[in-house]
Amino acid sequence: MIETFHLSKIYGRGIYALRDVSIVIEKGEFVFLTGPSGAGKSTLLRLLLRQEMPSEGSMTVAGRDLARLSLSQAQTYRRGLGFVFQDFKLIPSKTVLDNVGLVPRVLGATSVQQQRRTFQVLKWLGLQHRMNAYPLELSGGEQQRVAIARALVNEPSLILADEPTGNLDPDLSLEIMNLFRDINARGTTVLIATHDRELMRHVGRRTLTLDHGRLVDSR
Amino acid sequence: MAMHWFTYCLDEALGSLWRQRGSAAFSVLTIAAALLVLGGFLLVTENLDRAVSKWSAAAEFSIYLRDDISQDQRVSLNALLSDHPVVASREYVSKTDAAQRFKRDFPDLAAGLIDLPQNPMPASIEVRVHPRRAGAAAAEAFARELQQVPGVADVRFDRRWLERLSGIATGLRWAGWMLGGVLIAAAVLTVATVVRLALHARRDEVDIMQLMGAPIGFLRGPLVFEGLLQGGLGALVALAVLYPVYVIVRQQFATAVGPALDLALAGFLPPGISVLLVLGGMGVGCAGGFVAARHVR
Repeated sequence: MIETFHLSKIYGRGIYALRDVSIVIEKGEFVFLTGPSGAGKSTLLRLLLRQEMPSEGSMTVAGRDLARLSLSQAQTYRRGLGFVFQDFKLIPSKTVLDNVGLVPRVLGATSVQQQRRTFQVLKWLGLQHRMNAYPLELSGGEQQRVAIARALVNEPSLILADEPTGNLDPDLSLEIMNLFRDINARGTTVLIATHDRELMRHVGRRTLTLDHGRLVDSR
Repeated sequence: MAMHWFTYCLDEALGSLWRQRGSAAFSVLTIAAALLVLGGFLLVTENLDRAVSKWSAAAEFSIYLRDDISQDQRVSLNALLSDHPVVASREYVSKTDAAQRFKRDFPDLAAGLIDLPQNPMPASIEVRVHPRRAGAAAAEAFARELQQVPGVADVRFDRRWLERLSGIATGLRWAGWMLGGVLIAAAVLTVATVVRLALHARRDEVDIMQLMGAPIGFLRGPLVFEGLLQGGLGALVALAVLYPVYVIVRQQFATAVGPALDLALAGFLPPGISVLLVLGGMGVGCAGGFVAARHVR
C-alpha cells in the first residue's frame, strides 16, 4: 500500500526532517508511527498527504508515485485517503452533519447519497444524536469522533492520523483507538502517528520508530 | 456535477457574505459608486443620443423664397428637389401660413406684425432630409447648391449644431467610460481585498477541503461567486440610486426648461443597458473574486 525508498526531506539550511527512510506498509495493515517530538512523524504524514514533496528518494501509495502527481492528480489521490489530526480540524461554522457531509458533497454525491452516507457513518460512531450540534458544543472525544467520521465517510482505502488522541484523556484515547481497530478490521489500511506507548502496547500492532528523521526500529 | 458545484458555491458565497457583512457592504458600495458614475454618464449620453437622433430625423432645410420668384423658377426648384436623393419630403409654407405660425408661436410679438402694412414673412419650402442618405457633407453641399438657385432668398440648414451635440454626447460617453474605468479598477481591487479577507477567515476550511481532495473549482468557486454577488448587488444599488435621481432631475428640468426642450424624449436607461450594467457589475465582482481566488492552489 505504502512504500518509501531512501526518502529524505530537507528544510532550509540542510536540516533533515527525514533521512533515508525506507518502509513498506501492506494493504490492510495497522501501523503505528512513533518517536519523540521532532522525529519526523508529522513530516512523513505530510509527504503521504502530498502536502509536501520529498527532497530525495521516492514514495508510492497504491502504486502511485506521489512526486509525479500533478495538482489535479494530487487532489484525486487525496480523495482516496482519510485523515485525522490532533486538533480535529473541524469547521466551526458548520454542524456535525455538514462537517461530515462536506466530503461527499464536494465529491459530487447526490443529496440523498450524501445524507445516507453521512448518517450511516455518524450512527456507526454513535454521533447520530449530535448531528445538528456545532463542533464547539461537543466534547474533545466527540469532536475527534466527528473528525474520524469525516475521514471515513468517503470509504477511503487508507487512513492517516497524526496524534489523534493527543488532546484526549486516557479513556477517550482508548475508545478512539478501538474505533481505528474496527476501521482496520473492515479492510482499511491505518497509519497512526503517536508517542503514546501505553496505547500502542494496548493495541499491539506493528510500530515504526523514527528518531532525528531516521527509521530506527520496525517491529 | 455542474449543478452540484453551482449550489455549493452559491451556498458558501451567501454564507460568507453574511458572516463578513460589514466589509461586504463596503465592497458593494464601492462597486455601486463606480457604476453610479458610469450609469450617470450613460444616462446623460443616452438621452442626448436619443434627442439628436429624433432631431436628426426631423432635420430639415428651410428654403426661403424671394417674393418675386417666377413660376418658371418655382417649377425648376421643385424639379430639383424632386430628383435629389437627400430629400425625403417637402412642404410649401405660404407667406400667410408663415405669418399665422409666427402669431401662434410668438403671441407677444404678433401685435407688431399686425401693425405692418405688408406681411413681411417670406414663403418657404420646408424640406425633410432623408436620415440615412443625407450625410452631413452631402446635405451641406446641396444646401450651398440651393443657395445659388434663382428665386431662392436664403437656405437654413440645422444639421451642423446637431452634429456638435452628437460630438458632445460622444465626448461625454468617453469621459464616462474613462472615469468609470478608473473607479471600476478601484472596485475590482476592493472586491479582491474583501474576498481575500473572507478567504483568510475561511482559511482552515479551505485547507481541510484541499486535504479532502476537493476539486479546485470547489475551492475557488465560492470566492468568485462571492465577488459576483457583491458586483451584482453593487449594480442594483447603483440603479436603485440612479432612478430616483433621474426622476428628481427630470422634474426640476421640466419646470425650468421643459417647454424649450422636448422632455417627453427623456427616459431612463433602456432595459438592455440596465441589464448590461448589472452584468458589468457582476463581471467586476467576478474579476475581483478571481484575483483573490488565485491565492488558492
